[in-house]
This record gives sequence, structure tokens and C-alpha cells, in this order.
Amino acid sequence: MTGSLPLLGLLVLGVGLLLRLRPALVVVAAAVVTGLLAGMPIYRAELQLLADPPAPEGILNMLGRAFVENRFVSLFIITLPAIALSERFGLQERAAAVIQQVRAATVGRLQIVYQLFRVLVGALGIRLNGHAAFVRPLLFPMSVGLGAVEPPLAQAASLEKDERRLEEIKATDAAAENYGNFYGQNLSPVQPGILLVYGALKALGYEVSLWRMVLFSVPVVCSSLILGAVQFLLLDRRERRRGR
Amino acid sequence: MAGVAGTIFSLGAVYVIAGLVLVCFAILTVADRRHPRRWGPGAFWCVLGIVFIFGSVLPHWVSGLLVIVMVALDGAGQVRAGLAADRGAARPHGASRPGNQIFLPVVAIPMVTFAFALTFRALGMDANRGALVGLGYGSLAAMALVLRLTGSTPRELMAEGRRLNELMGPVNILPQLLASLGVIFTAARLGDPIASGIVRLVPADHLFLFVVANCLSMTVLTMVLGNSFAAFPVIAAGVLVPLIIQPFGADPAAVAILTLSVGASGTLMTPMAANFNLVPVALLGMKSEYGVIRAQLPFAVALWTIHVVLMWSIIRFVR
Repeated sequence: MTGSLPLLGLLVLGVGLLLRLRPALVVVAAAVVTGLLAGMPIYRAELQLLADPPAPEGILNMLGRAFVENRFVSLFIITLPAIALSERFGLQERAAAVIQQVRAATVGRLQIVYQLFRVLVGALGIRLNGHAAFVRPLLFPMSVGLGAVEPPLAQAASLEKDERRLEEIKATDAAAENYGNFYGQNLSPVQPGILLVYGALKALGYEVSLWRMVLFSVPVVCSSLILGAVQFLLLDRRERRRGR
Repeated sequence: MAGVAGTIFSLGAVYVIAGLVLVCFAILTVADRRHPRRWGPGAFWCVLGIVFIFGSVLPHWVSGLLVIVMVALDGAGQVRAGLAADRGAARPHGASRPGNQIFLPVVAIPMVTFAFALTFRALGMDANRGALVGLGYGSLAAMALVLRLTGSTPRELMAEGRRLNELMGPVNILPQLLASLGVIFTAARLGDPIASGIVRLVPADHLFLFVVANCLSMTVLTMVLGNSFAAFPVIAAGVLVPLIIQPFGADPAAVAILTLSVGASGTLMTPMAANFNLVPVALLGMKSEYGVIRAQLPFAVALWTIHVVLMWSIIRFVR
């Protein structure tokens, strides 16, 4: 009856995020617009919902019910006090010390180990911004050390070449973080991504097992590690050729 | 006796604990006189705490109003991330610094999570629920451990948690809001026009082509929105369920998680995912703004292809 009109809610979502408005506001605005265009009432008294036959749910009722039923998606907030206090007492420095003990002979091998490390962190159910926590302060300086990029004292001709090598190392360091982070987190049944999938499927009438989702993430994680390794070892090969 | 244990080790109890933690954060924020804008975040996290504690007993429209209040506070710029005054609190003295033992609390969380899931399963209860309850009690165990190891006070523990939570900011509730958006999308039958549009585009009732359409639409929408979590509820309702799970009887858990993770290929290729692709460019001082994306392109395309083949084989051969 209302046909494709609610699709405009999707437009609100896309345009709002594209304009960099506050994402939470955009999401709720999209929900309200979608509901209105689908002909839902804004609000319905609880009693009317219990009537027989029940009145259709209002947008406010549905938003509240959905948010309450999906509380488990934000449950990771409960882990923050312990993680934050551990950080204050040197959790990141200790993790850094562990990574620094890695005796990688080349940049590429270091990146392979780092991606593995990030998969492990994700599988433990820990969320963190690795670019700020590990890549900038740790992985990047270590990679530069291994790449033995000459300081810009070299002659003008090789200066430009060094700059391109440095740029390539920076880009692949960032990529190693993203690969490990994106795919590793699906190995934990309590990461928000997997819980969001669980919640969305439940809304559509399918109750699935979190563990089965973890199981089917394993081949993806293995593929991502192999593909990452290929990319990082190719970087090593280019480095060796340039070295000659 | 079993009833008491059933109440203590229930998801409802864990929600109450999480709500109390959030209310603690809010109180500490409001009590922090050096905070540049303490009332906004204080109100935001307090309201979230109330929804966690009382969500199951409040009328749903009241919870809905509370969600609107939170989002309005954030929209009015009252809850910006990173405002928490990080005054580099007194570093702990060398004497009580734990060495590698500092890993123990963090590792305790997944171990307890897993133990609860196994126990629930052994008792013939829902292992999903067990993992969530375990996450709650795992976090409590980690708090106790870290207090013991460092000799800190519970107040310091909560103050650090509040700092980290405020640093991350309101994005922390984004996945939960997106899951709620999925519920409204489903009720509005948003999937129907999308599904019929794709059916019109795909020449025949062909499993492989539907898998390609599913993965392609997920990736493209993720690139536009810059976020695979935002794209998933739309694709699940519009493509995955009506065109793949229903007609072909595919394993919902398998194809759903693969659909989410094929979205990550989109995240790797889009400047809209600024946190992952543009922030490192700035952090590392790179010359080319799209250098990270360019480096990720071949990987993203190759893994996308693997997802298509994997999803098709699972539907075709795994029963």
C-alpha cells in the first residue's frame, strides 16, 4: 500500500552520514522518517497494544522496544573500567614490549606478525583503535627501522625514491591494522558486529547461534591472513630489488 | 535455590550491573569540576544507564522517549567525544607496577565468557545467552583482579572507565541504535522494494547471481555509508532474507556473518570510513590522502571474490 515510499528513510541515512552529521541523530531520524512513511503512528498507548486485535505499534513504542531488546549489543561497555585501569598500569606498554620482542627480519614479516596479533586481540573480544594505540607509536617506527630507509641525507635523486618507499611502508602498516581488526573481531561471539547481526536477524524472524557465526568466520580470517601475507611479502620483494 | 541462581546469573542481572556502571560514569562526570562541559555527557550516560537498569519494566514508549533525549543531547553537541579532561592522572609508583600480570584481567574476560557459555550449554540452556551473561561476570572478575593487582580503589577504577568511555563517546551506542533501526526497517517492510528491484535486475532465478547481487549491494552500500554495521540491517531485510535465505534454505548464521564481513571489503575501499582510511594518513603524515585505500584495493577485491565463492559453496554443499 505504501510501496517504496519508506525507502526515503534510507536516503535520510545516506545523506545524513554523507554530510557528517552526528551519526546517532542520523540513525534515529532515519528510523522516524521510515516509520512515518510506512504509515505508523508516532505513539500508541500501551493499553491499545494489549487490546484484541492489537493496534499497530507506534514509532516511539517500537524504537523503545527495539533499543531495550538490543541492549546486549552495547554490553561491551561493562568491560571498560577493567581495561582502562589496566591501561593506566601499563597494559599497552606491556603489549608493545611483547611486539618489540618479535625478531622479524623484514618489514613484511613484521606486518604479518602484527596482523596476527590484531586478530588475536579481536578474538579476545577487545575493541581498540589500533592506529593510534599501536601503528603510529610502534609498528611504524619498527618498520622504518627494518626497511632501513635512509635519512633524507642521500642525494636528490634517491630522495624521491626513498619517499615513495616510505609512503608504501606507511600505507601497508595501516592496512595490516585494518585487516587484522576487521576480520579478527568476528572470532569473538561478544563483539558488537556479530551481536548486531544476531539482533538484526532476530528482528527478521531468525534466531541464530553466535558460535555458528564464529565458526563460519574462520575461513574468512584464514583467507585474510593469507592474502595479507602475500601483499606484505610482495612489499619485501620490491624492497629487496630496490636495495640492489 | 535454583531460582536465586537463575536470577543472579541472568541477562537481566547483567543489564542491571551494566546500568549501574553507566550511572557511576555519569556521577563521576558531573562531579568533575574541571570538565569543560560536564552536564551533557553526565545526562547522556545516566539516561543510558536508566534504560539498561529499568528497560524491561518501563513502558516501551518511555524508553523510546529516553532514546530521543540521548540522541538530542548528542545532536546538540553536548556529548562530543574526547572531552573528558585527561589530566594525566598521577602515574602509579614503580613499586606497585605489575609486570606481565597486567594481562590477566583482560584475558579473564574472554575466559569467563567462554566458561559461562559452556556451562549454559551443559545445563541445556541457551549458549548465546551464556556468552552474554559471561561477558558481564567476566568483566566483574576482571575488575576484581585489576583492583587486587594494582591496589587501586574502586573509585579510581570507575574514573578510568569513565575516561575511556567518554573518550570513545556516543558512537559506543551506535551499533545498538543500528540494530533498532533494523527492527523499524523490518516493520516498514523496507526490504520488499529493494528485493523486487534486484529481482528485476538479475536475469534469472539463479543462486550464484543472487549471491553476487547480495555481496555487491552490501559492499556498495557500505562504501556509501562508510560503515558495514549501518549497511547490514538494510541488506539483511532487502536482499539476504528474501532472495537467499528464504528461497534457497541457506544456513542463516553462515550467510549472515559472511554478508557482514563482505561489507568490510567496502570499508577498505571507501574514504567515508575516515577512522580507518584517512585518520592513519594523518597520523603517519602520508603524502597522498588515498594512499591507504590504494594499498588495500587488491586485497579488498580478492577477499570479496573469496566471499562470493564461499557463500555460494556453503549454500550449495553444506546442509
